Parts: sequence; structure tokens; C-alpha cells
Amino acid sequence: MSGFTPPEPVGTAMIAISDLQFAWTDGPFRLQIPQLSIGAGEAVVVAGPSGCGKTTLLNLISGILLPAAGKVDVADTSISSLSDAARRLFRLRHIGLVFQDFQLLDYLDVLGNVLLPCRIQPAVRLTPELRERGLTLLQQVGLEKLVQRPVTRLSQGERQRVALCRALLLQPQLLLADEPTGNLDPENSRRMVDLLLQEARRSQATLVMVTHDHSLLPLFDRTLPFQQFLARTPTGTEGGVV
Amino acid sequence: MNSAFYLAIRSLWWHRGRSLAVIFSLAVILWLPATLRISLNQFRSDISARADATPLIIGAPGSRIDLVMHGLYFRSQPAAPVTMAEQRLAAEVPGMTAIPLHVRFTTRSQPGVDGAPIIGTTPEYYAFRQLTPQTGELPALLGECVLGADYAARSGLRAGDTILSAPRNALNLAGDYPLQMLITGVLARTFSPDDDAVFTDLRTAWVIEGIGHGHQTVDPTTDSSLLLQNSRDGAAKVTAGIGVLPYLEITDENRDSFHFHGDPATFPLTAILAVPGTERDRLRLLGRFSGNRQLQCITPSQVIAELLSIVFRIEQLVLLFTLIAATAALLLLALVINLSLKLRAAEMQTMFRLGCSRLTILCLQTAEVLLLLLIASGLALIGGLLIRGSVAAMLQRLML
Repeated sequence: MSGFTPPEPVGTAMIAISDLQFAWTDGPFRLQIPQLSIGAGEAVVVAGPSGCGKTTLLNLISGILLPAAGKVDVADTSISSLSDAARRLFRLRHIGLVFQDFQLLDYLDVLGNVLLPCRIQPAVRLTPELRERGLTLLQQVGLEKLVQRPVTRLSQGERQRVALCRALLLQPQLLLADEPTGNLDPENSRRMVDLLLQEARRSQATLVMVTHDHSLLPLFDRTLPFQQFLARTPTGTEGGVV
Repeated sequence: MNSAFYLAIRSLWWHRGRSLAVIFSLAVILWLPATLRISLNQFRSDISARADATPLIIGAPGSRIDLVMHGLYFRSQPAAPVTMAEQRLAAEVPGMTAIPLHVRFTTRSQPGVDGAPIIGTTPEYYAFRQLTPQTGELPALLGECVLGADYAARSGLRAGDTILSAPRNALNLAGDYPLQMLITGVLARTFSPDDDAVFTDLRTAWVIEGIGHGHQTVDPTTDSSLLLQNSRDGAAKVTAGIGVLPYLEITDENRDSFHFHGDPATFPLTAILAVPGTERDRLRLLGRFSGNRQLQCITPSQVIAELLSIVFRIEQLVLLFTLIAATAALLLLALVINLSLKLRAAEMQTMFRLGCSRLTILCLQTAEVLLLLLIASGLALIGGLLIRGSVAAMLQRLML
């Protein structure tokens, strides 16, 4: 895209995207990223209004979606060249995901939710070490006394922290947070972002967070110019921009 | 798979109200065909086992099924009796054990306790059916009897008690009188019709029938009211009146007064169980009775097989109902799966985004349904097994 200058990564590139093209078949949305690099340990934010396609970018980075063209490398692994099974395993092992409404399982207690990544892939077994790590993470976020409490009896702030612990359990190199502050008031939004940044730095993970809240942007190393990735569609419609 | 079941169990427990409703519905749907199937198998197994264990039955000509039901289950009566002469005829075949059966009377019913058939037989019957006393001992003397375990349990009687036979016709004053018998023991349970019967000596059965009896000793000086006629020269010649009754109880004091009238060879039996030592003996006996128009000698297992062919036809009908019930169950199950998938759609999406494998997602989706189905099937099976004895007994009452 003309006019877009790729930002300089802080260190070795954790995410490297080149010549990426993606479009939904049933809509005008098109995403074009000629070049994008996010360095290891960097904390970046993708800002834009709801529905403009920010989540799609996270899905492309995590391998949930595949680009029509171009290449997405995460931790020196070409996501788009992996098989479906390998991509799922890669995502589980290397990428921690935090969702907008946290997506905790009501029928599991706090520790059960944190340990969930160990129960969804035969290749990732629940070991005593992982259980211990789950407890340590809960202790770090101040939930050590609530490990057996059902998540339905947690406050919003406590649920955020459980979701974050789940994302960090397998020590991911990359943390993707999809509007984790979407349903929170400003005070809780700030706390959530502080927690994300703190835990990402503690685990030396790269953080990519999507938000439509501009007040949070200064807290990150940099903001991706997402509007420049949105292409004009053949019908002349342009995607939403900031 | 363990994780899938772990998550499914937690999910089922979390939604326990819904889970219980589904389990109960499925269990009821599965219970009926399961119970019928289990009970029919039990019924078939029970009656086949007893028939297979009884090589031959000899009886009067007539319904083969009636004779088998009589000889094996003490139910129904043969058209006519046989005699001890026929028993001796069968016993003459080398290697043959001919066990006489006299089953014409029952014990007297008590409130809430129906009478049990009184089986007059010889000690060979106990050995043949492997009947041993659980308490007390087998009857040895005239007027003694031993109870089957079930009858003892429901009547509350035990060794040392007495039991009355029931007259076949209470209005027939000239007929059989009830006899009070002494219970010498209770047999160990064998889960067979023997458990619900009373066994006595063959001669005691004949006493009940009125063939054998004892008399009250009449003293002309003290029992003048019982005398019809008294000679002038005192007690040397007296004629007893109708007030002199046959004994209703056989005791040590009067046992010796009991006697039988007539030729023992003509004394009646209702059936004879013939137990050949070898196949050759069996064929020899069959040959001996094949041309006898006064008797029939049949193989119970063959008759039971014919009876079971009727059961098989009933089973086909049951199978049809089972298929209808199974179709209903499958439709319900499909609904459950559909609802479960819809309820868990967001959860599955989260799993997928986290990196869940396809296999695990499939397992997660099916584990819950499988568990529901397993628990419901288990309950239906347990329910069926718990009442199979009752249903099998009911089938026996209906069919035999």
C-alpha cells in the first residue's frame, strides 16, 4: 500500500507479514498488508472501530484464518504453510489468546479454566509442572485463594485475570488480546491493559492487542496503522478506518 | 479422550438438572425393551435348564406339555394317573432310576400365603435334584415333610412346626381328609420350582389321598358314643360308628396303626421321572414304552423346545416394539445432540481458537452424549436385571 512505511521492530521479528491479501467472499472487506513486522517482546496495539476487521488480522496471525495470498511468519514459522493440525498445535503452544468476553467455561473452576489448554490437545498433556505453573500464575495475579471457585462467581476483574492466566499457561511467545477491554469500564480497562503489559513483560512475550479505545494507545510501544491495511473493494466500498 | 470425558463429566454435573432429565427419559425408553429381553432370556434359561436336567418323564397319555409342566413344575394335572406297576416296569430297565412322583395335593392356604404343592416321592428325588437340607433333615418317617426354601420363607414355617394338607374338595365328607405333617427341615434354595414345594414320603401322599390310614382305638367302656353295636359278651366284638374318624395326624403313638389297603402295584402316581445311566439305557426305555398305549414316555427338553418356539414368536413381537422404542430413543438422542451442540457452540469456538485438535473437538461433542447414553443404558440394564426374576416368574406363571 502506498504511503505506508513499515515500523521498525524492536528486536528480532516475532511476526513478519509480507504481501498478505485477504477478503471475505460474502462482503466488501479486503485486507492488504505489503509488509508488517512486530519484534519479539514488543507491545503493539491495533486500534479501530468495532467491525473494521481488527479481529481478522489477529485470526490471520494466529492461523485461525489463512490469507488468500502472501505470507505470515510467527516465531520464524510460516503459519500459512502448516497443515491444519500443525497450525492448531502451533497456536496452542506458541500463541496465547485473550478474548473480548474472556470465554471462560462456566462448568470449570478457576484452576480448571487456567489448565484448559492442557485438555484440548493430545500432544499437550497436563503435567504436575503445568499444574504448578497454573497455580503460580494465579498467585501472581492475586487469585491464589480462588482456585476452586466456579468462574460464574467471579467479578469481571477476576475473570480477566483468569483468562490471562489461561493465555500464559504454556508460556507463549506471542500474546494476542482481542478487545479484552471491550466490555469493561475505563477503570477496569486500564487495569486489564496494565495486567496484560505486566504479564507480557514478565514472560517476555510479544503482545498484540486489539482495541477501539484510543485512551489506551499511549500505554503500548506503538500503534499499528490499521486503516492503511484496508483496501478499496472492487465495488468501491472502503472498510472502516479510524 | 480422558480430557474429553473429564470436561463432559464437569459439564454434565454443572447442568445436572438437564442431564438428569435426559438420562431419565433415555433410561425409561431403553428400560422396557431391555427388561423384556433380559427377562425372556432368564425365562428361557430357567425352563431349559430344568428340562435339560430331566432326561425322561413317564405318564398317562394326554397332553405332552401338561405332563412336562407337571413333572418339572408341579403344575397342571395329567389326564390320568399311572401306577407303581409302571414305575417298577421302568425301574426294571438296567441302569435306570425311576423316581415316582405323586403331586395331587397342596398345603392349606393361610391368609396371604397360598398353599404349595405336596410332592410325594422317594429319596432318589432329593439326590437327583441335588436337594439338601439347609436346616433340619430330610423326612424319614410317615407323616413327615420338608419344605422348599421359598415356601418356608413366605409361610414362616420351620423345622419342628406342623403343616396341614388341603382337601381337594371340602364338601366331600367321604373323600380325603387334611393331614397334619411334621416339618423335619427346610431345603437349601436351588432357584427352581422345588423351592416352592413341600416334599414328603410317597406313602404319606397316599395317606393324604386316603389309600392309607390309621384308626382310633375304640374302648367300649369309655367310648360308648362311638359304638354302633356292642356284643353282649363285652368288648370282644364291637362295631364302630361313623364318629370314629381316621387320624388327622401321624404321631409316634399312632404311626404303627397306619396301613394301606389294596395291591401296592395299583397305588397311584402322577408321573415318573426316568433317569437312565447311559444313552443306551435311555433308548432302551423309550423302546420299551414306544408301543405302550397306556403310557407315554417323553423327553422334556423336546417339549420345552416346542414351547420356546412360541416364546420365540413372542420375542419377535417384542423385538418389533424394541425397534419402535429404539427409533424413538434415537430421535430423542438426535435432539439431545443437536441441543447439546447448540448449547456448546460458543465453547467449541473458543476451543478451536485456542488450538484444540479436530479429534478433541469431536470427542468433546460426543463424550457428553456418550456419557448420557451410557448412564441411561446402565440404569435401564440395572432396572431390567433387578426385576428379571419377577418378570421371568410372571412369564412362567403365564405360560406354564
